Amino acid sequence: MTTAPLLLLEDLEFRWPGQTEACLDIPALRLEAGEQVFLHGASGSGKSTLLNLVAGVLAPTRGRVEVLGQVLGELSAADRDRFRVDHVGLIFQQFNLIPYLSVLDNVLLPCRFSRRRRERAGDARAAAATLLRHLDLAESLWRRPATQLSVGQQQRVAAARALIGRPELLIADEPTSALDAARQEAFLDLLRRECVDSGAALLFVSHHRRLERGFGRALAMAELNRAPAEAA
Amino acid sequence: MKKIWLLPFLLAFSLAASAQGKPDFKVGDRLPAAAGKAKTAYPETSWDDLLPKGWDPLAAFKGLDVSKLSDSDPRADEALRKLRKAWDAAPANESMNGRNIRIAGFLVPLEWGDKNLREFLLVPYFGACIHVPPPPANQIIHVIAENPAKGMQAMDPVWVEGTVEIALSTTEMGNSSYRMKARSVSKYKK
Amino acid sequence: MRALLPLALKSAWNRRYSLGLTLLAVTLSVTLLLGIERLRQDARDGFAQAVSGTDLVVGARGSPLQLLLYSVFRMGEASHNLGWDSARALAAHPAVAWTIPLSLGDSHRGYPVLGTTSAYFEHFRFGDRQPLAFAAGQPFAGLFEVVLGAEVARKLGYRPGERITLSHGMGGEGLAEHGDKPFTVVGILAPTGTPVDRTLHIGLEALEAIHLDWQGGAPIPGLNIPPELVKKFDLTPKSVTAVLVGLKSRAAVFAMQRHVADYRDEPLMAVLPGVALSQLWELLGVAEGVLRAVSALAVAAGLAGLVAVVLASLDQRRRELAILRANGARPRDIFLLLALEGGAVTLAGALLGLTLRTVLVLGLGPWVQAEYGLVLRADWPGSGELYALGGVLLAGLLASLLPGWRAYRLSLADGMTPRL
Repeated sequence: MTTAPLLLLEDLEFRWPGQTEACLDIPALRLEAGEQVFLHGASGSGKSTLLNLVAGVLAPTRGRVEVLGQVLGELSAADRDRFRVDHVGLIFQQFNLIPYLSVLDNVLLPCRFSRRRRERAGDARAAAATLLRHLDLAESLWRRPATQLSVGQQQRVAAARALIGRPELLIADEPTSALDAARQEAFLDLLRRECVDSGAALLFVSHHRRLERGFGRALAMAELNRAPAEAA
Repeated sequence: MKKIWLLPFLLAFSLAASAQGKPDFKVGDRLPAAAGKAKTAYPETSWDDLLPKGWDPLAAFKGLDVSKLSDSDPRADEALRKLRKAWDAAPANESMNGRNIRIAGFLVPLEWGDKNLREFLLVPYFGACIHVPPPPANQIIHVIAENPAKGMQAMDPVWVEGTVEIALSTTEMGNSSYRMKARSVSKYKK
Repeated sequence: MRALLPLALKSAWNRRYSLGLTLLAVTLSVTLLLGIERLRQDARDGFAQAVSGTDLVVGARGSPLQLLLYSVFRMGEASHNLGWDSARALAAHPAVAWTIPLSLGDSHRGYPVLGTTSAYFEHFRFGDRQPLAFAAGQPFAGLFEVVLGAEVARKLGYRPGERITLSHGMGGEGLAEHGDKPFTVVGILAPTGTPVDRTLHIGLEALEAIHLDWQGGAPIPGLNIPPELVKKFDLTPKSVTAVLVGLKSRAAVFAMQRHVADYRDEPLMAVLPGVALSQLWELLGVAEGVLRAVSALAVAAGLAGLVAVVLASLDQRRRELAILRANGARPRDIFLLLALEGGAVTLAGALLGLTLRTVLVLGLGPWVQAEYGLVLRADWPGSGELYALGGVLLAGLLASLLPGWRAYRLSLADGMTPRL
């Protein structure tokens, strides 16, 4: 059965303007719908650049990025931004949340900008409530400004925000690196379970090899990227 | 950062726009007749048309060769006095009564009503009443504006369109004078 | 766009202290700008309304503007008077329809006293050819009778039938009083919105009568002429301050003016009120221009402060903007967000400034009216003020484009992960 892949990278190259050497050179990468992939990348391996390309923030200097059958290069910059919020949820290592918005408002942020996600969420507030409960966040916290939460709690709110409206792809860039070791596993478990629940594919990037356990597929930037890594 | 300079520029511009232009006329200047642009309903009229035929403004000086008089000769003063009296009693041109005209002149404000000028006198030359002796009575029009004129100052040059009447008054100061109900009063432009 | 507004508001609320201070600056400068416009407009109106239908104001030769200000607006001092004979000759002139002689000099509790004749109530016009009307009572007829302007009666709480005494000279407190010759209030005028409201009106003979036993500004010691006996004396005034003249034909005004100037018995001048007002406004125009420039600069300073505050906040907000971009904000949304903030503060400042100006006019208006006879109106902004407000909004909007633009560029460069 051949279904369109969720994510397809072909002959991808990216070079920063003014540089002679490409920092990213990936012949092929393919992700299926609902797949959970661990991507190991050290600093300087080009993983941030790769994530920016997949999210449509950067445009490749050669090759193509195809998400859900849509070649990102065919879209205008504004349309790429729209496409990203419609189909991709993002979690970063830190500073995920808008400090002056409440927890609930932070979770609902993508629904402000994407009609598709708003519609797929249905009753957005109820969907947000459900996600927050699944992610072990007590209702008393929901109306508090995001800055009043601990780092662990903030990361879980970020996860809820990435998941609301059921985007097809979730990209998590070192989401556990700011957490202590005991919580890292717990967060990972929660995240993976929610992705399965909502049917989203998960691309999990980290330089901690030991988090690889439990993922269906494991990749390494060092193998994927033909271009030499920058000195860390 | 260059855009910050727009700000004072805009403000300066708005200030300049609010400043009123000063007329650059000398005392005694008359307004030149406008070329073309004749509205037939209100034909353009010159100040001379307001003089009755055969009335000579300088009649008092007839027979007097001023250059032959010595300084401070009482005859010169006497002639001047006679002239002024004649001018005060200068008769109106009867044929102008009821005519629609368009005429240009300088305004002497009489009545300010609620920011705008309602009544004024129209005279043929700049500086009349301030620096120079006033014109003869048949060269002054008492104008009542239907729509009060905005933004006017004393001695502003204006075009006035309206119907002329001759108002009778039996006083020592002349028997009759021109009055006009002005349909429009506009700033003078060549 | 609708999605951005609540975000912009919450973000602004988060920085409410710094934004609040710039809002205050913008508000105060707008109040200054609008206040000056209002003052300017109402002063002009006040001057224009004060006299209507008067063809000439005749007085002793001197400054035309001074004569007008003194006789019509009760401001300043008279330099010289004109003799009663000249005033009578003027009234007798065939071209003259009516005259109103005026004499100023005394006061009552800070309000000027005007000596005149019954012609005042008959011929004086103000505003749009409006005659004087009585709210109560009638013009003075007997000797020691006084008619009050509306403001005088209201402020001092006088009613017809009450008795008051006048003070010698202008000034307020500590003046010698004409205590032995009290006046009875016989009439109170309806409000006019002109200096008439703050004037007390008595007959010219009455003015003579109270100065019979005075010499050089003080009562003659030992000489006391009781009110009943004054009628035995000749109460014809010797001089008046000015005469308002109405002609039978307005076009004859130049001829009359020259006739007055040529008058042999006394050095006189006749002023056309319309022309003198025009000259007054030209004079004021210079001061107005300066004030407007100053207040415009104040607004510019306020807006510059606003732009500075918003720009300064940009550095702190780079993460916030990156998060927004990651969650679907396009660079143009970021631009709008920042521009909206500056624009909203400008709008709020403009509206608050207008409100504050209205409050000030309502609060200070009565005092200004009592002190200076100038009526400040608190109604909707006139065209001058609307232009000023429009200018402020335009300037604020344009100024807000700058931080919007900067944020746009930053957001493009930073993407989702700002390099801090």
